[in-house]
Amino acid sequence: MPAVSFRELGWIFLRIGNLTYGGGDPIMAAFQRELVARRRWLTAERYALAFALARVTPGTNVLAFCAAVGWFLRGWPGALVAVPAATVPSGALVIALTALYEELQAMRLAAGAIGSLLAAAVGMMLAAAWNLLRPRLVAGNRLRIAVLAVGALVLLVGFSSSPLLVLGLGALAGALWGVPSPERELREPA
Amino acid sequence: MNLLVLYLLLLKATVTSFSGLTSLPVIHHDLVVERGVLTDRELNAAVAAGRAGPGPYGLYVVSVGYFVRGVPGAVMGMLALITPAFLIIPMARYLGGKAGQPRIRGAIEGVMAAAAGLLVASTLPLARASVSDAVSGGIALVSFVLLTATRLDIGWVMLGAAGAGLLAAVL
Repeated sequence: MPAVSFRELGWIFLRIGNLTYGGGDPIMAAFQRELVARRRWLTAERYALAFALARVTPGTNVLAFCAAVGWFLRGWPGALVAVPAATVPSGALVIALTALYEELQAMRLAAGAIGSLLAAAVGMMLAAAWNLLRPRLVAGNRLRIAVLAVGALVLLVGFSSSPLLVLGLGALAGALWGVPSPERELREPA
Repeated sequence: MNLLVLYLLLLKATVTSFSGLTSLPVIHHDLVVERGVLTDRELNAAVAAGRAGPGPYGLYVVSVGYFVRGVPGAVMGMLALITPAFLIIPMARYLGGKAGQPRIRGAIEGVMAAAAGLLVASTLPLARASVSDAVSGGIALVSFVLLTATRLDIGWVMLGAAGAGLLAAVL
C-alpha cells in the first residue's frame, strides 16, 4: 500500500474530526468507515488497537485515537498532523459558541439541525459496529465473535460495567478462545 | 492568571481523566474553588458549548480557557487537551510490534468485538436524547443504511441530516 500523503491525511482528519456531532465515539465510528471500509488505509486490527489503547490513554479518547492512527499511517509527523487537524477548527468553533451561547439557545433552527446531526450519529455508530463485525462473521468464527460482542454489550448495558473492564475482558477472552481468523498485518508504519 | 499556570492546571485535569467529562471535578476544584478564576455558571456554559459543536465533548476545556483568559487562554485549553493524546504512540508501537503472535492477534480480535459492543452501548443514551419522533428516527435509520450498504461519503450523510433537521424545524 503506497504511503498516504500528508495532504490527504490532514484533509481526512480535518473533515471527519470537525463534521461529526455527538462527542468522541461517533468520530471514531466515522473513522472506521472512512479509513477501514472505504479507503483501506487501516486494517480492522489496527483500528481496534487504536480504539482500545485510546481508552487507556489519559485525556480525551478520540484525540489519542487520532494520534495512533496518524502514527500508523505516517509515523510521528502523521500524528502531529492528524491531532491538530481534527481539533483546532472545532476548538475555534467552541470559542465562538461560548461567546454566542445564550443567543444560540433561543434559535429553533440551530436546535433542529443539531438534533438531526445527533440522530445521524446514532445511525453512524450502529453502522460502525456492524462494519467492524461483518468481515469477522465467517464460518468457524461466527459464534466466537458474536459471543464476544453480545457479551460486551450485555456487560455494559445490563451491568453498567466500565468500558475499560469490558475491553480488557474482550482481550482476555479473545486471546484464550482460539484464533481462527486469517493472517493479518499489524506492523509498524513503513 | 499566568498562561503557563493555566496550561498546567488544565493539563492536570486532562491527563488525570480517561474520557469526556471526567476532568470536570478537577477543573471545578482548581479553577472555581481554589483559585476563583471561573464561576460555576461559566463552567456550565463551557460544558454546554462543548456539546453544542462538533468534535469531542472534551473540547469544553477550550471554552474554560476562554472564560479565564480570552483567546490566549483558549489556546492553552487546546494545548492541554492535545498533549496527553501522544502518550498512545509508545503503547501502539509496543503492541503493534507484537501483533504477529497468535495470542495477541486473538486478543485484538476480542477487543474489536468488545469495541463493537461498546459503540452500540454508547448509542443508547445518545438515541434517548436525540431520537424522539418519526423524523429523527428516520434520519438515524437512513444514515445507518447509507453507511452500511453504500460507499457514500460521510460528509453528505451529515449534510443531509442537518438539512432534514432544518426543513423539519421550518415546516
